[in-house]
Amino acid sequence: MNAPRPYALLAEITYRCPLHCPYCSNPTRMRNNGELTTGEWGRVIREAAGLGVLQIGFSGGEPLARRDLAELIHGAREARLYTNLVTSGVGLNANRARELRDAGLDSVQLSFQSDHVDLADEIAGANAHQRKLDAAANIRAAGIPLSLNFVIHRRNIDRLPQIIELTETLGAVRVELANVQFYGWAFLNRAALLPTREQVARAREVANAAKTRLTGKIDIFYVLPDYYETRPKPCLNGWGQRYLTVNPLGDVLPCPTASSAIPNLRFENVRERPLDWIWRESESFNRFRGTEWMPEPCRSCPQKEIDFGGCRCQAALLTGNAANTDPVCTLSPNRAQVDAVLRDLDQSSGHTREWTPRVNPRKAAIRPNA
Amino acid sequence: MIPDHTQPRLADGVRLEIDGTTGKGVLLFPEGIIELNETAQEIVTRCDGRPLSEIVLGLAREYDADLEMLAADVRETLADLQRRKLVKLA
Repeated sequence: MNAPRPYALLAEITYRCPLHCPYCSNPTRMRNNGELTTGEWGRVIREAAGLGVLQIGFSGGEPLARRDLAELIHGAREARLYTNLVTSGVGLNANRARELRDAGLDSVQLSFQSDHVDLADEIAGANAHQRKLDAAANIRAAGIPLSLNFVIHRRNIDRLPQIIELTETLGAVRVELANVQFYGWAFLNRAALLPTREQVARAREVANAAKTRLTGKIDIFYVLPDYYETRPKPCLNGWGQRYLTVNPLGDVLPCPTASSAIPNLRFENVRERPLDWIWRESESFNRFRGTEWMPEPCRSCPQKEIDFGGCRCQAALLTGNAANTDPVCTLSPNRAQVDAVLRDLDQSSGHTREWTPRVNPRKAAIRPNA
Repeated sequence: MIPDHTQPRLADGVRLEIDGTTGKGVLLFPEGIIELNETAQEIVTRCDGRPLSEIVLGLAREYDADLEMLAADVRETLADLQRRKLVKLA
């Protein structure tokens, strides 16, 4: 199959993070060894640029946990990539902000858990909120354009007006108000995180009003919780079309959540294969590329080039088969799965449920003769 | 109408690069990429603080084009890029 050229690389450079958010994007179970070295990342970045990639996002985990971050950013600039840092801000003091700027960092996306310190720190499982406020000031003082990201869920969705106010106060040019999507840790914690239908409707109004009011000042992106949608999201603009992710261990993924959600797909590693081969030739990138793989109702659907059948990870998590239509779609024979989740929530709304904070992987035990 | 003395510049966080795959100019910004057509690329390349009148004159010399039509094209392109917050006019 002819592969298109990719535009953006998500470089997850470490799984380490001082926060414990219950919707963390780290895998719920993982190998805990062998982060790619500085030199290996340099090669991956050059190979990505050679493939056509124009943008790189440094993410994790918390990318600031790597002391060689400035060096990696510098390498990406040498390859003429646009560099974005996706960070919790913990550890971003004034010196570090200037160091990263001098290395060529183009923009920062800083995450917040809420606008209010108590709730924010409860969600993060760490005293992080004040340090994020400081980080925002340091980023701006260094002259780096600031975007914010709030993961929205049942516990903070009612605070959307205050959250938008905080965005204005911090001088951000862009904010993502992204309702949590249910993969990995968020899938485990779904019962505690999924907002109610009423909350979602109110939040949508708040977001739309703010968009109008702040036009020309702040770009607001409100990402809907897709369980409440009737058609699936156009996940990744199609599998293996524009994006690729390299995780801290060097696995190359069509989507950051694919390795957890689709365990029976074998992913290639940059230590064993060139990136070019993995993007063009590998089974994992070709499995859901294009429209040939689609079953009904997608195969004959006029929307198939618009939503690409939705999200493969969601299909795998909810139906047990990644090749099924995303069950969010009301045309999917599995939509009942999503409706059942929403019905459970309706019957229990008002209750705050416990969630499981992300925990760090245990250090590998030392086993003689193992 | 954008006045002649306006000095267009790329907005903060926006970079002009040549896409190695297509050879075309692209604007890169947080979470976004816009491919420029040849006219837009020629205009954006000159958004370095020089006034609009100078951009128009320079392009007119290079392309031997009608000055008034060219000025209208440049204004339209800049207004569009300003709406998308990719160029700032000062």
